[in-house]
Amino acid sequence: MLVCDDAIFMRTMVGDILQQAGFEIIGEAETGVQAVEKYKQLRPDLVTMDIVMPDMGGIDAVREITKFDPNAKVLMCSAMGQQALVVEAIQAGAKDFVVKPFQPSRVLEAVQRVLG
Amino acid sequence: MDPSRYAELFLTESQEHLSAINTSLLELERAPGAEAPVAALFRAMHTIKGMAATMGYQAVTEIAHEAESLLDGVRRGALRADHVLADLLFATADLLERTIEATTDGHAPPDAHDVLERMRAMTRLARATPPRSLASVRGGAAGTRVVVTLEPDTPLKGVRAWMAAQKLAALGRLVATEPAEAALQADQFDRTFTVILETAAAPDLLVQVARGAGFVESAEVHVPGAAPAVSPAPVTEEHEIPERASGAMHRPSGAITAEFAIPEGAERVRTQRHIRIDLRRLDVLMNLIGELVIARGRLQAIAADRKDAELDDALAHASRLVSELQDEIMTTRLVPVWQVFDRFPRLVRDAARSLGKDVDFVIEGKEIELDRSMLDEIGDPVVHLLRNAVDHGLETPAERRAAGKSPSGRLRLAAMRDRSSVLIRVSDDGRGIDRERVLAKAKRLGLVEPEVEALADDELFRMIARPGFSTSEQVTDLSGRGVGIDAVATRVRQLGGTLELRSEDGRGTTVTARLPATLAIVRAVLARVADETYAIPMTHVSETMELAEHVNETVKGREVLSLREDILPLMHLRDLVQLPRHRDRINHVVVLEMADKRAGVLVDRLLGQQDIVVKPYDGVRGGLALFSGATILGDGAPALILDVNSLL
Repeated sequence: MLVCDDAIFMRTMVGDILQQAGFEIIGEAETGVQAVEKYKQLRPDLVTMDIVMPDMGGIDAVREITKFDPNAKVLMCSAMGQQALVVEAIQAGAKDFVVKPFQPSRVLEAVQRVLG
Repeated sequence: MDPSRYAELFLTESQEHLSAINTSLLELERAPGAEAPVAALFRAMHTIKGMAATMGYQAVTEIAHEAESLLDGVRRGALRADHVLADLLFATADLLERTIEATTDGHAPPDAHDVLERMRAMTRLARATPPRSLASVRGGAAGTRVVVTLEPDTPLKGVRAWMAAQKLAALGRLVATEPAEAALQADQFDRTFTVILETAAAPDLLVQVARGAGFVESAEVHVPGAAPAVSPAPVTEEHEIPERASGAMHRPSGAITAEFAIPEGAERVRTQRHIRIDLRRLDVLMNLIGELVIARGRLQAIAADRKDAELDDALAHASRLVSELQDEIMTTRLVPVWQVFDRFPRLVRDAARSLGKDVDFVIEGKEIELDRSMLDEIGDPVVHLLRNAVDHGLETPAERRAAGKSPSGRLRLAAMRDRSSVLIRVSDDGRGIDRERVLAKAKRLGLVEPEVEALADDELFRMIARPGFSTSEQVTDLSGRGVGIDAVATRVRQLGGTLELRSEDGRGTTVTARLPATLAIVRAVLARVADETYAIPMTHVSETMELAEHVNETVKGREVLSLREDILPLMHLRDLVQLPRHRDRINHVVVLEMADKRAGVLVDRLLGQQDIVVKPYDGVRGGLALFSGATILGDGAPALILDVNSLL
């Protein structure tokens, strides 16, 4: 799993949720650029991606990642009120989304849907 | 999940974002059309919102949410980033800060109603510009109907519905949705919506695909002229979480916030190898190294008695290591001054605005590092100096023009490194301190002789640094309550530093604080009086000497020390600490030095030099202004640290 969010707080929380469910966090990124770089480097099975990040936002990062790997599995992390952005992210290739505030069960369900 | 674990992380991180918000707002104010600050503001608000929502901090979430909506309007170009907007955002930033503080302290948040309403009003204005709409779909056509009901309280249900439609569309051709797609996305449906398709896919497959959108409670398929296929009743699925095995890197489970550095191949990108450490841990380390230094002192004292070469050798080695460790820990505690200084532009702006002044404020030497706790302590005094400068130093634009200066005043805050000290300097190009008035007042208070005609800088400083001395007739909101420069001077002295002032009539004022870059461990001369040991920081000791009989003289009834060419005042430490004079004549002198002033202090006995750990000393404020702190000696006995500045 690759966790991308500009807030350490969020990375920690998402990381904790995933780890407690037995997943392994193999990398973190705090900008869109980093997310793309780390994806290419680590080839994670799943990426959680914040929509709003500095230095290339999450949506552009999804676009880049999908260009590199059409089968990439990206789970968007969004906030309430970001309908349009979530839609755009999914059009860019994201597979699903979760909405903050995160509930562990919701996050894990979404992960399951994405991993199929 | 226990959110209290994250509360501290939340607080630290939101403070960083608040600081970024203020910086961006100032940028936006300078360049109203700029996109970058708006994007930065949006991100910061968004991040705070996300964190706050997760923590369940309702009030914080709401403010950040409204601000985000507002900024989104600016970003889409529906709102102009003018002064009205900037002011509202400044007010929002303040409110947000207070709300975060109150919330994390467990207090009731401040009243947000007014600011929220103003934001909402402006956002409504922005909504007049229609949001971007996605490919619209014709409604009310025939085909295979998939009726989907989402779970109650599905977050962003419009997007879920849209996802279901998209997934289904992949199995054929999307004819329409009911309600129409735009309404779907705008959440304008209860829980149930219909996707109409031209498709050859089996109903079971359609149901399965629709469910794949997530949060689907049920899905029904109505094929024209066929019996409906219904999804199985809502299932509580037991998700089996796979044991993951792939991926070579393991993240250590204990490291919560470590930046993860990847130890991999040649094209590794530049990774930050930073970790966050609770400041209290550093304080504990600091205390421990302090104790270790004290223990070393004790060992050295013992070894000095033993005269064992092997022991000396081993001790010298250990001693070097302790010194290195001490340096390392000191360095670890250093942080760049911008961590505190970055909030000052906002403060100066507000102060200048409220006084109708134009101020060009620059900060230099942001990267200079200072001990973390020192930096925390110096923040308030610097704020004081900045406010003083804006309030009293800098003139109004009209006054400046009349004086032939540029209409906007220049205010500079600079941090500089000077050997082991850090200088923090606040300078303005304002009117300077009114020497006449200070002199007049000083005479009135009987502080100077009536025949004195002018005050030099250091005298001027001594006057205005007296508690309660202020020339400001009106008390303004910003400063001038007569607790100005003396409070600053006291604080700086408590930190082991000195304060200096230069003022030129009509040209401006410069105040410089000289601070030790690191805190807590200083080298000191230990002196004994009666049963007490006192420590005198080496930075202020020019020499120690045995007093030869003939150089101890009396001039005008006061004892003096003639040292080479100079005559210095001579004090008895016994007098200062209110002990009777020694019955025998004593002749150990410590020569104190600070700036251009010197004096001798007579002590019973000199014990030598030692590193001491400065501990906070609460007696400073109330009692004798003679001591700046306390320490614990190698034998466990306490010793007071002389405040050389107040002696001279």
